[in-house]
Amino acid sequence: MSLVDVSGMFFHYPRARLGAGSEGWTLHDISLTIRPQSTLGIVGESGSGKSTLIRVMCGLLRHQRGTVRFDGDDILQLSREGLNELHRRNQIVFQNPRRSLDPRMTIARSLSEPVRALHDRTPDDTELIASLERVGLGQEVLPRFPHQLSGGQLQRVGIARSLSVNPTILYADEPVSALDVSVQAQVLNLLMDLRDELGLTLVMVSHDLGVVSRMCEDIVVMRDGRIVESGVTSAVLAQPESSYTGALLRAARAASLERAQEA
Amino acid sequence: MLELRDLRVQIGGHEIIHIDELDLEPGTRLGLVGESGSGKTMTAKAIAGLLPDEAKVSGSVRFEGRELVAMGDSEFSEIRGKQIGFVFQDPARSLNPMMRIGRQVSEAIRLHARLNRRACTTKVIELLEQVQLPDPESLLRRYPHQLSGGQQQRVMIAAAIAADPELLIADEPTTALDVTVQEEILRLLISLSEQRKMSVLFVSHDLGVIRFVCDRVAVIYGGSVIEAGRIEDVVANPMHRYTAALLAANPGMPRDDNFSAFIGQRLQTIEGTVPAVGNFPSGCRFRNRCEHAIDACTATPKPAIVENDHRHSCWNPVVEG
Repeated sequence: MSLVDVSGMFFHYPRARLGAGSEGWTLHDISLTIRPQSTLGIVGESGSGKSTLIRVMCGLLRHQRGTVRFDGDDILQLSREGLNELHRRNQIVFQNPRRSLDPRMTIARSLSEPVRALHDRTPDDTELIASLERVGLGQEVLPRFPHQLSGGQLQRVGIARSLSVNPTILYADEPVSALDVSVQAQVLNLLMDLRDELGLTLVMVSHDLGVVSRMCEDIVVMRDGRIVESGVTSAVLAQPESSYTGALLRAARAASLERAQEA
Repeated sequence: MLELRDLRVQIGGHEIIHIDELDLEPGTRLGLVGESGSGKTMTAKAIAGLLPDEAKVSGSVRFEGRELVAMGDSEFSEIRGKQIGFVFQDPARSLNPMMRIGRQVSEAIRLHARLNRRACTTKVIELLEQVQLPDPESLLRRYPHQLSGGQQQRVMIAAAIAADPELLIADEPTTALDVTVQEEILRLLISLSEQRKMSVLFVSHDLGVIRFVCDRVAVIYGGSVIEAGRIEDVVANPMHRYTAALLAANPGMPRDDNFSAFIGQRLQTIEGTVPAVGNFPSGCRFRNRCEHAIDACTATPKPAIVENDHRHSCWNPVVEG
């Protein structure tokens, strides 16, 4: 059975002017499934609706048409407890860790927020240290503030924070775009390790086809709020059916280091 | 046309840039690659005389035979914009949001040439055509927010080449753009450089992008050029351990379209992060993150070795083969 099942889903932001056709809808007739413990990559240009889509699937935005099921349940029909549980099991790691962590909170405080919000208790130091160790950080960062940490360290804190409530799905929204090349590799490896270790379902939103083809079994290609192509990553990229996927692939290859070997 | 010799930049008692040698030949494109904090943008700013007043600059930057270090402001402003053009990372922030496109570009023309209004408008339209913007006449009256990111960057490029500069400095010009738009802008920069015999100093963190655009590359770490040469030589046979590690850490695309073998492959990493200014180790500045550091790396930075037009300063370089 699929873990997430999206069917004929439409979404628009409040006060958007809806036209006769597809105008105004940010997401248009989206259908996709996510299998438990699989890895899915969502690619597309900025404004294509990638980030909006994951926020709908996490229950942070309410769609207007169609259905989104998580573990069999229609997420619009959930009780308050059910919605809390949906939020706990679907966690997001954001692009810019400097903007997603409160600059006035110590790392210890930021790390304990999800447990406090969802379980109404404060985790003790042993728990915090264990969650830091899982992402390769030591306890010395606990009393520090975000400005005292590097981008890579902050992104690890962001990941530890998401994992602190034992999610089923980890959504990573461009998790390495704001990081240096040498640090990107560390964070991507960490995500792969955590997925294996914890049996997570991993959904990566990325503009980087290299990252997605390395990390994700399945792929969804989006443009203008629609899915233009989806399937098994290796099959889709080896023989793209949509001209847009082809264009993305050519552009990614043109600016890659592997280009000359082909020529 | 551009020669840097022993260029040093000091801010607050820390030497943040020390480049012993860097040359750019007329009509060629040089990439300056480095991670954030490496000093690549500072170097570009030092060349352009755009550093803040507290920066102490010494050494030599010769441009078309003239010494730029310690050149007076009024003399420098004659060169800047006219002979050296600039394109920056975020076009939305570099364009004036209150100013129509026509005026943004004509401002760049009028600063350096006396033209009447009609001649100026003709020239603006010509420039907008050269950067391949559709329907330039109607664009003149638009505001930046009515344009896409790629179109805005084309307007920036039009303004930068308005005075026919011999050198264009482009600092991460496509980092904020989508990958398909990035490719278009890069192709535009290449064709402008070739048509106009304009040299380009292309600053980026992305070696793949530099390889697409440039003939040569200089790799910068800790404010110094640690390796430089023809781009194909450096990418195929990196000598400095930092360059090799940077290439290996690139997520890249699978070779030969073998996507199924690519999945799940771990990336090679570089331990740690680029230290903050003032926290670099003695000797080679990369040595505390380097898997191949030897005793020699601790004492002093290695003087550059040049072989076959490929220079590097690594005490324990990669052995070919």
